[in-house]
Amino acid sequence: MKESERTSIVLTIITGAFAVLTVAFLFNIWGHTAPLPQIPLVDPAFIQTKTVRTSYAELAASKQDLSDFDCYGCHEKGKPPILRFDDKHILVVPEEHKDIVMGHGRNNRNNLCTNCHDENNLEHFQTRDGRELKFSESSQLCGSCHGPTFRDWNAGAHGRTSGHWNREMGAFTRKDCVSCHNPHSPKFPGRQPAPAPHTLHFTGKPSPSAEGEH
Amino acid sequence: MSDHPSNGERNPAPDADGMSRRSFLRMSAVFGSGLAALAAGLSPLRELQNFPSLDEFMQKYYKELTPAEMEKVLKRIELEVERQYGIRPHVRDLKPIDGVEFAYCLNLTRCIGCRKCVHACVAENNQSRSPEIQYIRVLQMQNGSMDMEKAVHDYNPEKVPEKGHFYMPVQCQQCKNPPCVKVCPVHATWQEPDGITVIDYNWCIGCRYCEAACPYWARRFNFTKPTIPKDRLNPNMDYLSNRPRPQGTMEKCHFCLQRTRAGRYPACVEVCPTGTRKFGNVLDPNSEVSYILKNKRVFIQLKEELGTSPRFFYYFDV
Amino acid sequence: MMAAGRNYCVFLRRSAGIAFVGDWRYYAWMGVLTVICLAGLNAYCRQFAHGLVVTGMCDQVSWGVYIANFTFLVGVAAAAVMMVIPVYIYDNEELHDLVIFGELLAVAAIIMCLSFVTVDLGRPDRFWHLIPGLGQLNFPASMLSWDVIVLNGYLLLNVHICGYLLYCRYRNKKPEKWFYIPFVFIAIIWAVSIHTVTAFLYVGLGGRPFWNQAIIGPRFLASAFTAGPALIILALQVIRHVTQYHITDKALLTLRGIVQVSMIINVFLLMCEVFTEFYAGGLHIASSKYLYFGLHGYHALVPWIWTAITFNLTAMVLLVLPVSRSLKWLNLTCVLCITGIWIEKGMGLVIPGFIPTPLGQIVEYSPTLNETLVCLGIWAFGLLCYTVFLRMAVPILQGQLSKANEREYLTSPH
Repeated sequence: MKESERTSIVLTIITGAFAVLTVAFLFNIWGHTAPLPQIPLVDPAFIQTKTVRTSYAELAASKQDLSDFDCYGCHEKGKPPILRFDDKHILVVPEEHKDIVMGHGRNNRNNLCTNCHDENNLEHFQTRDGRELKFSESSQLCGSCHGPTFRDWNAGAHGRTSGHWNREMGAFTRKDCVSCHNPHSPKFPGRQPAPAPHTLHFTGKPSPSAEGEH
Repeated sequence: MSDHPSNGERNPAPDADGMSRRSFLRMSAVFGSGLAALAAGLSPLRELQNFPSLDEFMQKYYKELTPAEMEKVLKRIELEVERQYGIRPHVRDLKPIDGVEFAYCLNLTRCIGCRKCVHACVAENNQSRSPEIQYIRVLQMQNGSMDMEKAVHDYNPEKVPEKGHFYMPVQCQQCKNPPCVKVCPVHATWQEPDGITVIDYNWCIGCRYCEAACPYWARRFNFTKPTIPKDRLNPNMDYLSNRPRPQGTMEKCHFCLQRTRAGRYPACVEVCPTGTRKFGNVLDPNSEVSYILKNKRVFIQLKEELGTSPRFFYYFDV
Repeated sequence: MMAAGRNYCVFLRRSAGIAFVGDWRYYAWMGVLTVICLAGLNAYCRQFAHGLVVTGMCDQVSWGVYIANFTFLVGVAAAAVMMVIPVYIYDNEELHDLVIFGELLAVAAIIMCLSFVTVDLGRPDRFWHLIPGLGQLNFPASMLSWDVIVLNGYLLLNVHICGYLLYCRYRNKKPEKWFYIPFVFIAIIWAVSIHTVTAFLYVGLGGRPFWNQAIIGPRFLASAFTAGPALIILALQVIRHVTQYHITDKALLTLRGIVQVSMIINVFLLMCEVFTEFYAGGLHIASSKYLYFGLHGYHALVPWIWTAITFNLTAMVLLVLPVSRSLKWLNLTCVLCITGIWIEKGMGLVIPGFIPTPLGQIVEYSPTLNETLVCLGIWAFGLLCYTVFLRMAVPILQGQLSKANEREYLTSPH
């Protein structure tokens, strides 16, 4: 008798357990799926492909305002502008051109307007080997000193190339030097990086190297 | 212990102690409640989205589809995407161009670690924003060392590049000898003639063996249904590349084949502000990549010693 | 022919029927297992609906407890058949019937293995892609394709051998040697192959230096032949306790001998591994450093592995000493073996392979509640299967369930 009583009790307990399970399953009492992490969408500024500057050639091609390049609107023809230097013999940028910050070359080398600009004809550049170049040919000016980079740029290995790798299938553009580099201060300033990656189930511990060198 | 007939069969002849009807009721109670628990246990399946249609379930392997069958598949995918995102995409199946083998050169002198490539890739290729999937991972390395253990993945300073570091973006290297292709149990991933290792998202069983095999941590898994914001969906899609991937399948960089097989640069190349990334046909002697491989001198192929023969060449500018 | 079919159906029906009958302890055991199974099934349905995001896995650690348990259980399945060797090769009649218990454990273990692999798949609905002919099985390049073939083949082999032997005993007929002895020998070799193939899954990955080592194959076999027979020692004592089936101590001590030697080899191989990694050092030992000592402030696995090593060393010492000849100590030793090897092969093998990632990132892993419920559910299901198998096999072997009393069964009122 005892045996069958025990069996009865056990079977009743099992039935009860199944009933509890049924309720637990239907009401999803445990095992809720955690909601997906709220990751903010990236600022569209990070995925746009425009260059930071626009070269004279691009402005001219898209028929935009070129008045910035009208030097003789202020300067007198035939009268070369006077360059002023401070007591350390560093060029003083005139008030009218105060948006220009000179930084082309370290240790104040190359901080001389007439290294690139022709003082007798402000609408042209001059190279060291005596060539006269138009504003739209500025890349040749850069290349007259920066030979290896110019060679790479010509081959498409330096700077931005966009459009089609397969020239037969479509247009291909190569940006001029000044589309990316400010000619008076060519070194790229630092910029804010786009957001860092998010790891699934991230536990919140910072990455190890951020804590110190090993 | 003698055996009894299995439950459910009534034993109308009660034995001496009259237990039989009770035992039948007992067993029915157990079975009944057990079946109820079983049915209730299956209830989370109600939350299943996108259960595959019969067409999708029975879909043949990519390489076995006839052009007519492929048309039907592409149409089906277009309709599915329209239903889910409200935008009718254009899904194509671009074939590799003859005489083309892609190579990628990455100039480590120039990379500033801005991560624009990471996000341009996400936008172009309809990757999941949450859980976040990014094919490109930019490592902030320490000057003088290629030790990736010292690399930082989640750097977030005010300005990059930071002094003392160089930046190395890593994505699928499209190896000539890919370990992922070797280990896939169902041939869901393979290498195409133009060098791109592709995945048939409708064939992958999600075992993640390829993810374990990849030495570059280049492959990603869809742990759940991807979240793509409707207003950022790129409707120019390709079957093997940037169409929205199903839950439970693998994905990875595919050199934007929806662009590159149409002759265009991948999104990462287009957006890079410093011209670090160079891409093209290595079989064309006039391409940028051929020029770089011919004229630069210090090259790094990541984990070269593993014999994977990557098509990705990192170089420094001398 | 028809009569043979009908006879077989009666045999199956009776065998199935007996699984629902037992004493209160049987019902309690089966009840508990069923409850756990149902909880596991519910958890898996949640995973099927939402995807593997409900687990603790991520792109950095893309295999977790499912594959860890799978690896351990393949070893158990392989070793369960090793009891066959003393019987058939050394012709030890005492152990004859115990072979069936071992092979039934192998069947239950393989069912668990196949379940663990299935719940780990992102798209289990696409399983048919694995079927050669229908799908595109990447044989022989992919080790997973080998695994699919050998595991299913092993299942069929053991189901055939047990099924045939039990059916012959039921009909009180002497089994035809040619219909099972060749399969037994194939099973012995096949047992080694299933575990070697599983080892090669890991060994073949050049990008993961923690796994790309020749010692993993032998280590797998040594640990399998420790944990498997240890499990059988415990199972046989349970059978002895709950049924009247006579199992001699000699059988248990023979198994103890296998566990003893295997554990010594296992510990030796561990020492080989540790020396190889740490003597020369280098960047590639990052995963080993993480496992044994922690790396860059991450040390979740360190207590686990040192517990496992302690258990294994203690078990080895106990096995060598004659004190483990007494069943109380032997049982403790078996528990130590099984737990130590489960930790070592599961967490101590699968997880460190992913930490750090090939790009040097460290992301730690811990299973979620849902994942744990699925694992427990599958273990419970395996135990349920094994209990059912034994519930059928023991009465057949003892003669209580046989063709002789079939007439009584068939003519009793329905």
